[in-house]
Amino acid sequence: MNGLITTIQRMSIHDGPGIRSTVFLKGCNMRCAWCHNPETLNSNPELEWIQQKCIGCNSCTEVCPTGAFSSNNGEIQFQKEACTNCFRCLLVCYAEAIGKVGKEMSPEEVFAEVEQDFPFFKNSGGGVTISGGEPMLQPEFTQQTLALFNQAGIHTALDTNLSVSWKQYEKVLPFTDLVLADLKMINDRKHQQWTGKHNSVILENFYKLDSSGIPYMVRIPVIPGVNDNEEEVRALSKFISSLKNMQKLELLPFHSMGSFKYTNLEIKNPMENTEDLSKERLEYVQKILKQ
Amino acid sequence: MENSFIYQERIDHLRLRKFAQTREKIEVEGLLDEDDYGRVLPPANAWKSIPNHADGSFYGLDGWKTNFCNMMETHPVYVDPKDAFAGRWVYFMSRMRSNKWNPDYPFDHLKPDFEKYDIINGIGDDAHFAPDYQLGLSLGWQGILDKIEHYRKVNTSTEQSEFYDAHEKVVKSIQGWIIRHIDLIETLIAKETDPALKTNLEEMAEANRNIVSAPPKTLREAIQWIIWYHLASRTYNRDGAGGQIDEMLRPFYEKDLAKGRIDREKAVYLLACFMLNDTIYWQLGGPNKDGVDQTSEISFVILDAADKANCSINLTIRVHDGMNQELFDKSLYYLIKNKNAWPRYSGDKALVEGFMKNGFDAQLARQRIAVGCNWMSLPGLEYTMNDLVKVNMAKVFEVAYQEMMSDKSENPSTFKLWGIYILHLKKAVHAAAEGIRHQLKYQKYNEPELILNLLSHGPLERGLDVSDGGAEYYNLAIDGAGLAIVADSFAALEQRIETEQKTSWKEINYHLEGNFEGMEGERIRLLLKNSQHYGQGNSLGDEWAKKLAEAFTDMVRAESNPGLKHTFIPGFFSWANTIGFGQHVGATPNGRKSKTPISHGANPCPGFSKDGASLALANAIALIQPGFGNTAPMQWELDPTLATHDHAQLIGSIIKTHFEMGGTLINVNIMDKDQILDAHKDPAKYPELVVRVTGFTAYFSMLTPEFRQLVVDRILQS
Repeated sequence: MNGLITTIQRMSIHDGPGIRSTVFLKGCNMRCAWCHNPETLNSNPELEWIQQKCIGCNSCTEVCPTGAFSSNNGEIQFQKEACTNCFRCLLVCYAEAIGKVGKEMSPEEVFAEVEQDFPFFKNSGGGVTISGGEPMLQPEFTQQTLALFNQAGIHTALDTNLSVSWKQYEKVLPFTDLVLADLKMINDRKHQQWTGKHNSVILENFYKLDSSGIPYMVRIPVIPGVNDNEEEVRALSKFISSLKNMQKLELLPFHSMGSFKYTNLEIKNPMENTEDLSKERLEYVQKILKQ
Repeated sequence: MENSFIYQERIDHLRLRKFAQTREKIEVEGLLDEDDYGRVLPPANAWKSIPNHADGSFYGLDGWKTNFCNMMETHPVYVDPKDAFAGRWVYFMSRMRSNKWNPDYPFDHLKPDFEKYDIINGIGDDAHFAPDYQLGLSLGWQGILDKIEHYRKVNTSTEQSEFYDAHEKVVKSIQGWIIRHIDLIETLIAKETDPALKTNLEEMAEANRNIVSAPPKTLREAIQWIIWYHLASRTYNRDGAGGQIDEMLRPFYEKDLAKGRIDREKAVYLLACFMLNDTIYWQLGGPNKDGVDQTSEISFVILDAADKANCSINLTIRVHDGMNQELFDKSLYYLIKNKNAWPRYSGDKALVEGFMKNGFDAQLARQRIAVGCNWMSLPGLEYTMNDLVKVNMAKVFEVAYQEMMSDKSENPSTFKLWGIYILHLKKAVHAAAEGIRHQLKYQKYNEPELILNLLSHGPLERGLDVSDGGAEYYNLAIDGAGLAIVADSFAALEQRIETEQKTSWKEINYHLEGNFEGMEGERIRLLLKNSQHYGQGNSLGDEWAKKLAEAFTDMVRAESNPGLKHTFIPGFFSWANTIGFGQHVGATPNGRKSKTPISHGANPCPGFSKDGASLALANAIALIQPGFGNTAPMQWELDPTLATHDHAQLIGSIIKTHFEMGGTLINVNIMDKDQILDAHKDPAKYPELVVRVTGFTAYFSMLTPEFRQLVVDRILQS
């Protein structure tokens, strides 16, 4: 069973312990306004255009059947809505200004690519993390990939929004050493407003995960103007307090480092004018959570 | 606490004075693409060399003895009341000649190949092997003179008589230089009004009086002795090799502590002054000859002292299975805290196992330690020409490529190109080896090693220069440079022409000749540049790099001659020659433009990896190690966002893993990209900024704009 991957990030140090390789799967069932990996939202391969790399050679305009690529006074322009993802342009763009986001890989291919870094995992206490998008939208691939690494004695982590049926999780958790579970908001109305999805299944799954015996950590993205207010943080705090077996809580402060990806994909960035979370605001949230 | 404050104030003063001296050198002598060394400016009425040859230069025993002794008679004396030690060096004597090779021993027959393959041949180059400081510390200057006298009676030919005369005079001239410093210190004592500084000067004078003839007995005397020998050796021919500094000084430190002559704070002060004196290459930690870790309390004292000095420092931590984890952790702490390119790390496993493959035992192999830019040496036991002989493998590629393209009888292919390349590389390696053999035969008539002979085991005993049979071993280094350029060029040709058929030999040749000019040239250049690189992991570039490394290694090894005890050892290192080598090579099929720098040492070409560059780098360089005890260093531009104390263990695990995989040496820079760009624009704003250029560190402000650009590009594209 192949999976659709956006990238395998080597030397990942923010997705679990030690030095890790994080496998980003393409496709997500949420539309969090602050998403810093927008290339993982769409469940199909798509085209990205990196304007800074373009040398204006017109090779793309010559092969584009729909006129999505055109030249205006020597400057190449791209209209995403006209693009049919035929990827003919990809073959002629030697400057690599055009890229295909989304690559099919088998669990064995992923394993082979990650394998070169096993010695670093061993010395750093690291391993492999399956992330996304939402990896549980490709449950069979996720299960098979985790199983391969698990059988090789490599530490495995699953980064998930806990939003799919628990039955699916029951299939992958036997091969998972650590779950990185995202928790955004407790207020369901706001959750739906900012992520496009209700949170009842998520909260329910948190309790199931808590009693599953699988080590897990909770990761909260802290987003200015969304969930960094006292009321929401206190609600989050109360919920976390009710969990008995959480190993660690991580706060992920909002940053705009992924904004260029929206540009490259010609997608509207819902938070393009939002500033990075300040250190003071993060400390404020931390203080409430500690109370 | 009070002492601590005084010591820190003195160290700060010395560091600022060193910066000021560096600035003066830049103003008077211009920019320099090498180590700062700690040298200070010569006086206005500088010493001038005395020629003994019609070409205006000086050669041989008499020439070097006469010049060195004459120079020492008037060599400036240098004492700073806030320093624990006297002495600085001012003259590059070996550079004060009109010619570095005696024309009576020509090598014209080798020059065509040297030129054709752009070989740095090392003929007439000097030092680059290690003295045994332990020998000096146990004998003292009088002990060395006694040894000369003893062997003068054993080896009695006329030539040997001159040999011993020359060494005797050199030692006595160094003693004279020390005595002139004692005179100056005594004058300063008489004038000094600050009681603490007066005491410091009195201690300095006493230490120097005690070691003019006799061997040192205290830590202060031992360091001062090392400084005198080293300054003399630097002056003579820029020798910068050190030794196992912690184990060398441990007995003195422990005895001083036991007798109450010193405390830890004072030891830190002494060692910080030592670090500020010169940028000698020292090794810390690592196994002794029996495999037992040598770390002791003074290893930590030395690290603390380096932190206090925090200037251009060349300390190498030896990483091995039985390593003291605390020392390793502390070294990482200082690496991250100061971000000043020190320490660096060497990998015991591959170095020892590799060196043993030359037929040596483990005990000897463990004594071959990190004491040079990219190199290991057995202190006092071998003559090596380390880091002096380099083959520009990118130039060899150009020669082979042009030969293939000019042959119209057969279609070009990477298979055919490789066959031609191998033939030329073999010729180039042989030419380099012939150059070394020429040096071994005639260097004694050109530039005898009058200082390094003193602390080598053999030259005085046999009455032979270290280059001429005086040394115990001849482990001779030939380094390959431009590995990534060649590997990526082969990979690009194979991938784009033969596998994908996206272009043709004809088209590529057209654009190589035209240096990728025009829009289509740029498009083809990017096609080539974006092909599979060395360093990406399991790529075509990696395959070619491994194949090339193995071929080069075999060729260098094949030059060995067991009968003559000549063992040739391969390495991959370019030192600071990346720009010069690049200027001699036209556009290459990896998308590199004509006359631009070649790749750095064993590193992949900059920008080789989109992410995870640290791991990719560590993997790639472990893969191409030559594996016979010399290095293919990993030049690591570590992202400052990773280089935090929280990530110390991760950084440590990358270092350890690289060495487990076969790596030999890691040089680390931690540079903020904005800062390095600003420093490039206005170097004077960052007088304290130190970068590890290759194996050596340098003040960024001392580098020429071309070299600064090279360092900047490497960091920006890491």
